[in-house]
Amino acid sequence: MRRVVPFVVLIAVVAVLNGWLDQRFYVRVLTLSVVWALAGVAWNLMAKAGQISLGHSAFVGIGAYGFTILLRGGGTSPWTGMVIGMGVAAAVALVIGLPTFRLRGFYFTLATISFPLIMELLVSHYGDPELTVPFHPENEWKFMEFSDSHTYVWVGLGMLVVALVISELIDVTSFGFALRAIRDNEVLARAVGIRTVAWKSAAFMISAALSAAMAVLWVKAVLRVTVAEEVFGITVVIVMLSVAFVGGVGQTWGPVVGAAFLIPLAMFLDDSIGESVPGAQELVYAAALVLVALLIPRGILPAIEKGCRRLATWPRPSLEQTGPSLLGRLVAPPPRPSPLLRTPRRPLRPRLPQPSDAPVLEVDGVAKSFGANRVLSDVSFSVDPGRRVGIIGPNGAGKTTLFNIMTAHLRADAGRILFKGVQVDHMRAPRRYELGMSRTFQVPQGFHLMSPLDNVVVAAIGASMPDPVAASMAMLERVGLAGKALAELSALTTAEIKSLELARAMVSDPDLLLLDEPLAGLNEAERARFFETVDELVAPHTAIVVIEHSVRSLIQYVESVVALDEGLVIAQGPPEDVVSNPRVIEAYLGSRWMEHARDQ
Amino acid sequence: MVEFLQFLVPGILIGGVYALLASGLGLIFGVMRVVNFAQADFMMLAMYLSWALFAGGFGLDPFLAVPAVFVVFLLLGMAVHWLFIRFVIGRRENHDAQVILTIGLGLIFQNLILIKYSSEPRVVAPSYANAGDFIGDIFISRVRLYAFLLSVLVAALLFVFLNRSRTGRAIRAASENWEAATYMGIDIDRTNRIAFGVGVALTAVGGSALVTFQSITPFVGFRFVVVMFAAVVLGGLGSVSGAFVGGVLIGIIQSVSQVWTSAAVKNVWVFALFLLILYVRPNGLFGKVQRAI
Repeated sequence: MRRVVPFVVLIAVVAVLNGWLDQRFYVRVLTLSVVWALAGVAWNLMAKAGQISLGHSAFVGIGAYGFTILLRGGGTSPWTGMVIGMGVAAAVALVIGLPTFRLRGFYFTLATISFPLIMELLVSHYGDPELTVPFHPENEWKFMEFSDSHTYVWVGLGMLVVALVISELIDVTSFGFALRAIRDNEVLARAVGIRTVAWKSAAFMISAALSAAMAVLWVKAVLRVTVAEEVFGITVVIVMLSVAFVGGVGQTWGPVVGAAFLIPLAMFLDDSIGESVPGAQELVYAAALVLVALLIPRGILPAIEKGCRRLATWPRPSLEQTGPSLLGRLVAPPPRPSPLLRTPRRPLRPRLPQPSDAPVLEVDGVAKSFGANRVLSDVSFSVDPGRRVGIIGPNGAGKTTLFNIMTAHLRADAGRILFKGVQVDHMRAPRRYELGMSRTFQVPQGFHLMSPLDNVVVAAIGASMPDPVAASMAMLERVGLAGKALAELSALTTAEIKSLELARAMVSDPDLLLLDEPLAGLNEAERARFFETVDELVAPHTAIVVIEHSVRSLIQYVESVVALDEGLVIAQGPPEDVVSNPRVIEAYLGSRWMEHARDQ
Repeated sequence: MVEFLQFLVPGILIGGVYALLASGLGLIFGVMRVVNFAQADFMMLAMYLSWALFAGGFGLDPFLAVPAVFVVFLLLGMAVHWLFIRFVIGRRENHDAQVILTIGLGLIFQNLILIKYSSEPRVVAPSYANAGDFIGDIFISRVRLYAFLLSVLVAALLFVFLNRSRTGRAIRAASENWEAATYMGIDIDRTNRIAFGVGVALTAVGGSALVTFQSITPFVGFRFVVVMFAAVVLGGLGSVSGAFVGGVLIGIIQSVSQVWTSAAVKNVWVFALFLLILYVRPNGLFGKVQRAI
């Protein structure tokens, strides 16, 4: 219901304006508002994954040139041209995206700038810098050649609604979960089975296709001529950025709000003072960008929502104690996972079976260097199903690097990793998670923009669980966090964050659980409890490997220990043997202490 | 061979100017991890200032105006940092804000200049603008040579500043490890402000060096934005000396590509190289390997 209301409002407002406005200029303002709202919605799909693209004019240019060339060449209908252009744009997005998505943050943004620049230069030099769109008055609908300019608004509204429905569908399915997880913490997303490149590529392709569709409408309804400098130009991107950021970056309805606000403002200003002030339109976008960056970096919509939430709890001090008021529930209902997530899904690929004669994990001769710094050399050990193994060693011994290699966050220089008897070195992090490898982090990681429940749901989705929400809720109950399932992540204590990490790592029922310093930051009582909780949660088949500095707590829990020092395995075997091994004592306490001990 | 050299030499000369333009961008990124999309528009503003000083009655030679340009843009950069940039520095969530803030500021500069001076191209033509010398068969334009020498001089001064002065060392420390620098008693806000001012001023001086052979419009910056980014990424984002080498390489590629393809598409080669470097060596040709987690 809440999701339908904005659509009704949008259609009603545009319909009323379109019926009422008569002057050509006003219809033009309305048309462009719809066109740029559509462009912003398309651009925003990438922003859902936290990817700021400055290259979307590449797809607008492809859409514009594609349909114009087809129309000029063979009299192809712009509708057909639109579909072909969308396909080409999506294909180009895939080709561009695959290498570019390996780049994070600024690097991605920087890389995207160059694509439209290259295309514009090539098209202008080797093709036509400008193509007129032939006039076909004989068939209004076939050639999108409407004598009544109001019709373009209807067509644009239709396209905008389709784009918004796509965006909403992404939001409420695991697609949207994956994108939000990527935006929030990409390393963690990969560790819980989210195939980041695949999801980002899918979003990029849809976004590119919608941008190409928008281009056809823009050229037919407004420009009337396809100019390389314009359709591939940076201004296209700046307007997309402006409407999306002003309304709310990554938010489905953000660009609609942004366009409704910015486009009329810019055009009316241009109409009134444009003669004497040539850059008036651009100044509106520029001022909007600067103000949003400084005042409300997430945009108008989230700012309003935040305000409503605050209003909803006023004058009561805490939401947690009393719950939201009636007003609060109306304007800002608590985040709830979508029912669409409850539909059972088939796992992408089934898990590996555990062969009866093979260990669950075999590390064979693994070596790793960072530059000249050798971190691991020839590390080998194995873990049988259901066993508990501890890894100890002084700081810098290479313990976390070893974990990162096991879970494919780093690549080994040499050696093999076998999981359930199968070599997994070529597999990336999400695939290893799917196969049943799960981990926690030395510095606890979380999706900070999500509730604790959603943090676990992402991991359940990554493991293709049939009912991710139910499984996650059950897991939160078992670690004692059910009462805080919808709290803010920042409101959790260190111990609760550790429990949440454990729940997230356990929700997939892994065959191998890797715990990286789970006791760090916990007090005595919490330490004593922690391994008990782990034992309550794990199935008998689950093997556990623990890195821990608190050797005393560790040796009471594990059945064998691997001791690392300066990247070498210096001892392995039963805990008592390893901790009394002179080389281990020396590694921990230094040779001077050893001499001192010998003298005694 | 002569033809090749005839392209190579101007490539190196213009590359020196790119290097200076890019070193400002690189310095700012290195110290405060802000990618300043308005950097090329500061260059554009500096070109207008040089033009105003030359054509506006003073008749000041653009190369002699460099100290004045440096001081003006040092102060302007510090003011822009104090008014805007300092509010979006730091946390990862601020990346988006940094991008749109600097894009917005650049647009504002462009359009204010457009309002004031219209889009008519301006040229600065001192008496020696078309002069040059032959070395063997290679023609060397006097203004381009001066621009190159100016860039090398400023680079040398920058090196001395960063390595010898107290403030310069603070800037390097902040660039190396922001957090540790604060523990050593370095005032990070002040250091950022100065670094932003110096970074802007370096690019501005590069702009002054360009005016004698590059016509000026309010939108001239856009042509240089990606060239500057390419140079900076080539040399390793955040490394000032890397940005310098990157700039020279870009100048050479842009110029030498004209042996094979039209001058109109020379930047295609630059952008393609930029992408290649991003994909193959995102830390630059001389970049360090970083830890994943």
